[in-house]
Amino acid sequence: MGLYSSIEVSASGLSAERLAMDVIANNLANVNTTRTPEGGPFKRQLVVFAQKQDAAAQTDSLNGSTPSNAGVQAVGIVNDTSPDKLVYDPSHPDADPQGYVHMPNIEVVKEMVDMMAASRAYEANVTAISESRTIGTATLGILRA
Amino acid sequence: MGAINFGQTVGILENAMSGAATTNAAVANNVANASTPQFQRTDVSFKDALARTEAPSADPNEFLLATDDPRQIGVDGPAGTEAFSITSTVDESEQMRVDGSNVDIDQEMAKLSLNSSYAQTMAQLATNSFTRIKDAIQEHA
Repeated sequence: MGLYSSIEVSASGLSAERLAMDVIANNLANVNTTRTPEGGPFKRQLVVFAQKQDAAAQTDSLNGSTPSNAGVQAVGIVNDTSPDKLVYDPSHPDADPQGYVHMPNIEVVKEMVDMMAASRAYEANVTAISESRTIGTATLGILRA
Repeated sequence: MGAINFGQTVGILENAMSGAATTNAAVANNVANASTPQFQRTDVSFKDALARTEAPSADPNEFLLATDDPRQIGVDGPAGTEAFSITSTVDESEQMRVDGSNVDIDQEMAKLSLNSSYAQTMAQLATNSFTRIKDAIQEHA
């Protein structure tokens, strides 16, 4: 286990949370998008997180039984399959013959809450990096004795 | 054995610091996976093992060599000492979140802060040990 391996673990958390923020920002930007290359309105996107498995960490650990702690990774961005919102607006160019427009299945409030959660998780990882660095600095300080 | 016996203190501090480093990595992993559904947090325990390695010696000058393999030849030290080990366990306690994860971010941050202070304390103690050794070597007037 390297001195700074825990910083790499926290860095994986930073990358994952940043990706989550990017996806949320994209959802918010497309809150009124009714046309997409696939046809139909924009679909809300979600990031899927999974624990990162690292084979090297397993053999490198102090004793063989340590589970691999390699951080987190985003394994995919999936579409939210909930139904589109229907808005009655006959003058809209994408309105169906009944006058309803299929709008993206995005709730702005939900996105805001998700964004706050991602932001706080990002901050937690920043704090973890800071603490890891403090430990590393204290350890290197022994050399100055 | 002679009067210089600083190996034990430094050895204990070394074990404590490697335990703190492992704990830090495990907590960092728990924090990184704070938003991962179904994630089970990892716990590191080394303080019990550390307490067992620092069992008080009857004779402070007694030389001791712990063994962690039956083929190794040990030197009989004080009874009760054994090789230091750090154990990581996956916490499978009940889920406290709807997504199946058992990570409590507040608890993890508290652990992170506590562990950092612990590591700093151990590093400071190691620094002091080496300073004392250096002072003894340098024959201060």
